[in-house]
Amino acid sequence: MLRTARSSATAGRLDPPYGTRTILVVLLAALLLWYTGQRVEIGRMLALTGDGILAAVGIKEDSQVSSGLGKVVGSLFPLQISERTEVTRIEGFDASRLPWFAHIEIAEHREQRLNPQTLSMEETIERKEYLVEPLGYLGHVAVKMFETLEIALWGTIIAVVLSIPLAYFGAKNYSPNRLTYFLSRSTVSLFRAVPELVSALFLVLAYGFGPIAGILALGIHAAGFLGKFYAEDIENADDKPQEALRAIGANKVKVIWYAVLPQVFPQYIAYTLYILDRNVRMATVVGLVGAGGIGQELKGRYDIYNYSHVGTILVVIFLTVFVLDQISARLRSRYV
Amino acid sequence: MLTFENIGKQFPDGTVALEGVNLHVPKGQFCVVLGPSGAGKSTLLRTVNGLVEPTNGAIAVGGVPVTRKTLPAIRPRIGMIHQQFNLVLRASVGVNVLAGALPAVSNWRALLMLFPKHLREKACGLVDEVGLQAEHLHRRASDLSGGQQQRVGIARAFILDPSVVLADEPVASLDPKISRDILALLKAESRERNATVLCSLHQIDLARHFADRIVALRNGRVAFDGLPDDFDEGVASDIYGDSISGSLIKATPRQRAVA
Repeated sequence: MLRTARSSATAGRLDPPYGTRTILVVLLAALLLWYTGQRVEIGRMLALTGDGILAAVGIKEDSQVSSGLGKVVGSLFPLQISERTEVTRIEGFDASRLPWFAHIEIAEHREQRLNPQTLSMEETIERKEYLVEPLGYLGHVAVKMFETLEIALWGTIIAVVLSIPLAYFGAKNYSPNRLTYFLSRSTVSLFRAVPELVSALFLVLAYGFGPIAGILALGIHAAGFLGKFYAEDIENADDKPQEALRAIGANKVKVIWYAVLPQVFPQYIAYTLYILDRNVRMATVVGLVGAGGIGQELKGRYDIYNYSHVGTILVVIFLTVFVLDQISARLRSRYV
Repeated sequence: MLTFENIGKQFPDGTVALEGVNLHVPKGQFCVVLGPSGAGKSTLLRTVNGLVEPTNGAIAVGGVPVTRKTLPAIRPRIGMIHQQFNLVLRASVGVNVLAGALPAVSNWRALLMLFPKHLREKACGLVDEVGLQAEHLHRRASDLSGGQQQRVGIARAFILDPSVVLADEPVASLDPKISRDILALLKAESRERNATVLCSLHQIDLARHFADRIVALRNGRVAFDGLPDDFDEGVASDIYGDSISGSLIKATPRQRAVA
């Protein structure tokens, strides 16, 4: 008797890691999910997708989703690779100096016209000369894609430059006082809170169409991320080497440079690469509102129903993002 | 060289780390501070370079009182060696040693990592002096063993030829053989420069072997202050109480019986 009493008094208990309260919370969360799922039509989404899959494997006759997708893909292909321009529209055209691989095509139009003298319909032949560049449009898209990459690169550079002071003042252990800390942290949250697309809309009004608005939109939003990440890394850096340098009277700048930066450097590279990666993708999107690059081209072509041009653009974007992903993965594994 | 006058320190949470400490450490002395964990050894050392601000009392280094105003001028003259070595692990040994000279280098030189030639040569000389090879200079500090890291710590502490060196349990995480080597090195380096050393230790045998003088703290008060030879087992058991440390456990019962 005595023995059992003692063991129950001294030994601990191992209850299951969850209790009634946890179960209740999970049930409540499930209920909430069910409610919101109703509102955003999750059920219909599943039904339509199921239909589409059944139609794709041939069990069902037709489905809204698969026919819609089919129409889209059908209008994107064949891709528009070449460029055809009416010669008379090219300023200072010199037929003896054609661009590489280009040739001139002559198209004849037969047209019925009313002759005012005889008042009878006559057939006239109209000749038009076209300059055909077989890879012309692809080249144009490539140039635009390159512009997008430049926008992404400069957006990242602006973000890094903006976030260095933001990180310094936003790190609790280095900010000169609470006000600067608060100001810096709230600026960073504000930057992060405004999506690129929204700020680009307004920046296009301020700076006009073109890459400036895109660069600033990307830079500001990314500075919201980098400022926060950089600052948190400074705060979490091992204090021991910092103390060693403080103890001998090195000032804050020197301590950051010699005791914090070496610790956080690999992380900083990783964040910055991630932001660059993200900016390449976002740079295509901000173009849609006129902020330069391939997005602007995409929007322009989409609006005049040139879907085969849109197809070329989409393929080029996909290939570029894929290649850059590979490169940045390699860089990361090498330097981080 | 170092004067502590009635030093007291109470932390915000109410713990009293130091109480009424009076000490005078003359120039060139190798003074070891002993005492059980929590006796206030580290706190005492850290009041010297202002890492801890005493609640009351005054400290003077070379006759200059330690205050917020004088600290920027005093700190570069005080080298410090840490229990965890406190090196920048991802930086090279050379940069770690040179970082000890940062207060003597202008901001822009520091940012561009352009240390003056005499400092670079001195760093190379010190790395050699503390027993590391030239090939270690470009290695990352994290690649070194604990003992080697503390050698780098010593080189860093001595690069500006400090008049005072604070060693906060410099060998607490090293094995006995290496501990002995490191303390011998510390003593040699400070003798050469006639630097005053305040060194806290856990090992009584090492303290008795290396110290010119032993100061023992208990509960924040000075419980013993005298020559190493006078620090016998009786005094030790007084100071450490039941938590008496390794080398003295065997000797203690006999001493108690005699006492």
